[in-house]
Order: sequence, then C-alpha cells, then structure tokens
Amino acid sequence: MTQPVLSVRDLKVEFVTRRGVLKAIDGVSFDIAPGEVLGVVGESGAGKSVTGAAVIGLIEPPGRIAGGEIRLKGERIDNLPPEAMRRIRGKRIGMIFQDPLTSLNPLYTVGEQLVETIRTHLPLSAGQARRRAIDLLAEVGIPAPERRIDGYPHEFSGGMRQRVVIALALCAEPELVIADEPTTALDVSVQAQIITLIKRLCAERGTAVMLVTHDMGVIAETADRVAVMYSGRIAEIGPVRDVVKRPLHPYAVGLMGAIPSLEGQADRLVQIRGSMPRLSAIPPGCAFHPRCERAFARCSVERPSPLDRDGRKVACHLYDEAQAEAAS
Amino acid sequence: MSELPFVEVRRLRRVFDVSKPWLNRMLEREQKQYLTAVDDVSFTIRRGETFALVGESGSGKSTVARMVVGLLPPSAGEVVIDGVPINDPARAAEVRALRRRIQMIFQDPYASLNPRWRVERIIAEPIRAFHLSASAREVRERVGELLTLVGLHPADGAKFPHEFSGGQRQRIAIARALASQAEFIVCDEPTSALDVSVQAQILNLMRDLQDRFGLTYLFISHNLAVVRHMANRIGVMYLGRIVEIGGGRELFVKPQHPYTRMLLNAVPDIAMTGRLREAVQGEIPNPINPPSGCTFHPRCPFVFDRCRREVPPLEAGVACHAVAEGRIAAA
Repeated sequence: MTQPVLSVRDLKVEFVTRRGVLKAIDGVSFDIAPGEVLGVVGESGAGKSVTGAAVIGLIEPPGRIAGGEIRLKGERIDNLPPEAMRRIRGKRIGMIFQDPLTSLNPLYTVGEQLVETIRTHLPLSAGQARRRAIDLLAEVGIPAPERRIDGYPHEFSGGMRQRVVIALALCAEPELVIADEPTTALDVSVQAQIITLIKRLCAERGTAVMLVTHDMGVIAETADRVAVMYSGRIAEIGPVRDVVKRPLHPYAVGLMGAIPSLEGQADRLVQIRGSMPRLSAIPPGCAFHPRCERAFARCSVERPSPLDRDGRKVACHLYDEAQAEAAS
Repeated sequence: MSELPFVEVRRLRRVFDVSKPWLNRMLEREQKQYLTAVDDVSFTIRRGETFALVGESGSGKSTVARMVVGLLPPSAGEVVIDGVPINDPARAAEVRALRRRIQMIFQDPYASLNPRWRVERIIAEPIRAFHLSASAREVRERVGELLTLVGLHPADGAKFPHEFSGGQRQRIAIARALASQAEFIVCDEPTSALDVSVQAQILNLMRDLQDRFGLTYLFISHNLAVVRHMANRIGVMYLGRIVEIGGGRELFVKPQHPYTRMLLNAVPDIAMTGRLREAVQGEIPNPINPPSGCTFHPRCPFVFDRCRREVPPLEAGVACHAVAEGRIAAA
C-alpha cells in the first residue's frame, strides 16, 4: 500500500470565545493518496474550510488545534514552528482560494508574483524562473503567456485570474493542493474549464488534492472520494459514486435529495427539516439527531463512531444496529 | 379565464451611462460610454406559470427583473401587466393599484430586510401601505397568519431579522411579498445565498404557495438545475439578449442555440452520467464593447460570416443564424 500524502487523525479545532469554547472540528480523520482528489462537502459552518486551514497551518488565534495529528507523507506538520510551516506552505502544499482577486497582489505583475514564488522554493535563476513561469501560464491555458506575464491581476478576467492562482499553487511542484471553493466565484461556463484544469494538472503530476466546496455537482465530477461534513464531523466518507448515488448516512441522503438535478425532474425536493446547529449549541450524541427522521434513543446519548460499511465509513448508529443484528 | 398573457414584456431595452466624470472625459478626451445591459427582450408569462430567466453574470437578467417590477425605467420597450403598461404616466392610477399585486424577493436576505425593524413591522408594511386592514388587531392577526404560512411561528414577529438564519430570513421576505396579496412575484436569485438543504426548503415552499394561491413567478437564476426544477418556461440570456426561449423540458432535452448547448454541457451535475465534456471556449466578452452581429459568435463553434455581421432575430424560440438555416443538427 502506498503511503498517503496527507493523513489526518482525530483532528480537533477549537475557537476560544468569551462565551466558551466552540468546537469547529471535532474528531475528523481522513487520508488522501497520491494523485487522488478528496472532495470535502458540507453546508456553511460544517467545518470544511477550517479543516483546510488546519492542514496548511493557518488557524489563527482565537482558533487553535486542540488535538489530533496531521501528517504530510508521514511527517507530522501540525506541531511545527511557524517558520518551518511557512516553508512547507507553497512548497509542499499549494493553495487555491475562492476569490482569485484577493489571492493575488494587485501591485505586482503576474510574472513578478510567479517568479518570486518559484525562486523562494526552487533554486533557479531569475531567467530560468521566468521561463518556468511562462511555461506554467501556458499550461494553465492562458493565451499568449509571453505577453500576459507582464500584466497586472486587474487586467485578467475572473476565470483567467483563477488560472494564474492555479499556476501559483502548482509552481513549486507541491505534493498536496488545498482548493477551497475554487470555482464558486466563477460563472458556470468558466467553472467547468477550471475544474477540468485542476483535475488534469494534478493527475499528471500525481498531486493529491483536497477540494473543499459546497457544490455537489463539482464534487461529483471531480473527486475520487468524498467526505460529507456536518457540525465539524465527518458523517460519511467514501468513493464519490457510492456516496452520491447511494448515500447511507441520513444527512447525506437528505443532502443528495435536496439538490435539484438537470437529469430527470423530481416534483419535490427532499427536505431536511431545520438547519445546522450553531457551534455553540451542538446537540449531544449524534449532532444530526434532532433533524434526523430515523433517530432513536441511542442517537441523542451516544456519539456514533465511524463504521465500515460498503467500502466507506459512516458515522451513524443505524448501521451499527444492522451489524449487531447480522451478528446475532 | 382569458388567453391574454398576465405579464407581457415587449422589446425591452436598457442602456446605462458608464462614462467617466465630465472633467476626466475632457482631460482624457474620451467619449461618453454606454453599456447596453438589456436589448430587445420580449416574453410573456401566463397566469399561474413560472417563467425563468437564466444566464451568467452580466447577461442582464437582474436588470430585466428590476424593469418588470418598475424599479428601473426601461430605455425602450414596455412592460404590460394584466393589460396595464406600467411605465405609462397617463395610467398612473391603474399602475398604483397594480403595484399591490406585484412583489419582489431579492437574493440577499441579509440586505433586503430592515435590521432595525421587528419582523412584524416588516411584514405589516405592505398591509399598511396599501390600506388592506383597518385595525391594528387585524394587521397583527394577518402577520401571524403569514408567518405560519411560510413555516415560522407567529411569536417570531417580535424578533429582529438578525435573530434568524438565512433561510428563515428568506421566509420572512416571502411572507412580506404575500402580505399585500400579491399575484405576481419576481424572484431574483432567491436561493443563491442559501445552503442546498435550505434551498430545497425554500423552493418547496415557493411551489406550495404557488399551488395554493395561483401565484405567477418570474424566476431569475444562474443555476440551471434550480431553474429546471422550478420553471414551466425558460428564457436563456446572453449579453443582454434572449438567445433561446422554450418550455422547460424541451429546452433541457433538446437545446437548440449553441450557447444553451454549451451551458448545459458545462454545468457540473450530480447525475454523473459519465458523459464527456467538450471544452468550453472563452469567456463572456465585455458588455461595453460587445462583439458585432451575434454577440456569441467569438465563442461559437458554428460561426460563419453572417453571424459576425447580422444580429440574429428570435425566431421560433431561437436567435441563431445557424439554427435558422438548418446548419446545426438537432441535439
């Protein structure tokens, strides 16, 4: 078995506020293999972006990593000093954020930013770095890169800017790319181009990708595996086809049914009653139980641990009951 | 019931002046600049129907919505609702009576509710403005009724908007729209700011209310799957024009216009049919300086000479020279 690029075990992230400690991430574990795209979905406040931020070491006070381990190719990175972490960011872990305009410095040309990033991480001369930057821009599909490299970010359209950000994220040949809502700010016709691009480039280089998004369509078309998050926990994680087509966890079932699809026409969308609890009021036991149609006594008392079921992990007592019945 | 359409939009056009200030123009010797946000848009909506406009950002769909409710005067063309042209000063009295029957729901439920007003006052405002209830008690009862109708509790009326989640705020906005017994509701991206599970609740609620009160919706969205779910008929907009218009099912099963085909092909969907995607070409051009002829021609795989010169008219539901001449096989 190959070693996973990223391995997260029982990660806990807390935010200390005046009103007490909020658990944004509560015991999340997953692996990403080389060349694999792991999609992380969930609704606002589920903790998907915080998970990404924890992996790249960008949890700022009052937030803190309260427990668990994050390993990059077997090496622990969650307890590194800030200076060492800074060297890993950009070199070994690339980042793509939602808004391409805020990830680029408006005062420098695209070329200057690329060259600076390349030279920070790779031992290249200015000329070599520029050559490499032009190649990268060509690779991400920017027309006439020799000319465009001297343009400023505002001279690029939204889709083109996101391509520049992808070039920046990939310029030091990272082992892992964290993409946080990379296509959310873009129009649909451009979205597809960007998704295809990320997928192709990472497959070619064997880069592992953690794709954080609320858009199930993007996950369905891009990811190899998907983790469905709810209230800072993973409800279900497994191969994307299984989870989207035949979800097991009641929350995942509701989520998939709630999404209108282009194919076929459902008369009514599946409705999950209520909304996700605030971090200050996460219910005891299974966090989903007050909204769950199939909840029973145990759900409100005991928090379900992830169970292996049909090649995936599901945190739901329903499947434990099923196992118990099968055993008896 | 009459066969007359309830809402009729005729050759609507809106031009915005996006020039720099006068002094800059003088110093930099620049001409005035205009942006044609909406050009020659016509459609009709029957009573009780949901008509949707889809398009990417900058296609002019929200501008159309604002002109239809009368928030923005058109540069040319007219909007006729139930036989009354809403921008005709000679019929101001009729237009005022019509106002009550038209309401709008906006995208951002955080910005469209007054944060300093209690919810009951927000919902009661249209009732008071149109003098629909005589006594304060009647108003209070009606507000409670409306809150229950949209799935909230009458006691929620005493709270302020910030005490509600995004989905609940959108419910309040819907209650406000219904307060004046509106018949026609223009919804501008009503669920775009919401999470999917909440979006499902709001879409279901909107459908239930439509069944119950026979509401007519103009539904604006960039999300094709949502539009497919909600609309009876759909108009696809590109750079200010409707490029294709048709029944929901036909449009999705047999798209005609190359842009519609491209959009449908590009949308990531959870159906996972495993179909291969054709690479989408290019991006939306700058609307200040749109391409000549058919504005889609620089991105169109079926482009030929005529497309660069002539604007294609909307014929049989499609505005495309190639389709009109039968040069593209049906999808």
